[in-house]
Amino acid sequence: MKMKRDKRETEIPTASMADIAFLLIVFFMVTSVFSVTRGLEFQLPKNDNAPPDQNPEEAIHINILPAGSGCQFVVDQTDMALSDIAIYIEPKLARNPNKFVIIDPSPDAPYRCMVDAFDELKLAEVKNISIPTQAEKSQWGNIL
Amino acid sequence: MKFKKPKRAESYVPTASMADIAFLLIVFFMVTTNITVDRTRVGLPTSLERVEVPKDAAIIAIEESGVVHFSNGEEQSRVMNVADVLPSAAFVVEKNPMQFFLIKADGATRYEFVDHVMEQLRQANVRNVAMLTMQEEVG
Repeated sequence: MKMKRDKRETEIPTASMADIAFLLIVFFMVTSVFSVTRGLEFQLPKNDNAPPDQNPEEAIHINILPAGSGCQFVVDQTDMALSDIAIYIEPKLARNPNKFVIIDPSPDAPYRCMVDAFDELKLAEVKNISIPTQAEKSQWGNIL
Repeated sequence: MKFKKPKRAESYVPTASMADIAFLLIVFFMVTTNITVDRTRVGLPTSLERVEVPKDAAIIAIEESGVVHFSNGEEQSRVMNVADVLPSAAFVVEKNPMQFFLIKADGATRYEFVDHVMEQLRQANVRNVAMLTMQEEVG
């Protein structure tokens, strides 16, 4: 007996492939979260309990206090607006480019005040910015 | 005179390569996206100066209430006691002393909470730290 050969053409339907692919794209676009990958960099000092490299008395001190919902900046015992800090620091920096600036936020101050001050110093191109922690300050004594 | 009606050429949009294009886009997005290890929602502070930080950095997220989340950069972040940041960070630094640590703190949080975390990092001999910020609009 002779078998009849089936001569129908076989094919995989690919017309809907694009639809599936675009559906996947849309799904990934909707579910993906954009993460922030930029910020302010700094280096922490070595944990050796050594005294600070420079006499903190010669450094510029920026105290940050909470003031309602805003912040109050006290630079070397003088109240100052954020924008005035750069003007105050510039001549000092011109004389000594390695001038130390110490940021000392009060524990009650909002974190964003400290970031604002730090940003201002970075823009003023201060090389040596120090943010001592409460524990470090107690090591340094009452010079602050 | 009678004109011969021209034969109409069938018009169609070629869609055979559509799938290739779409898959190319999928691959492109998959390669360029980096998987986030920390999904804590915080209102980041703003700054004018911002530099790109390494993608595989460890993340310490601090919520406004002071709750701390820690991720070593590979695993998903988990809630952690501030006192436990020291051993976790020390473990990361032991493997790579130059490892970056990102502080992703809420702008409205009390500075005290950030201070505690920084003290822990300092004791763990962490060198490179970055504070994540959003772009500040001028004017």
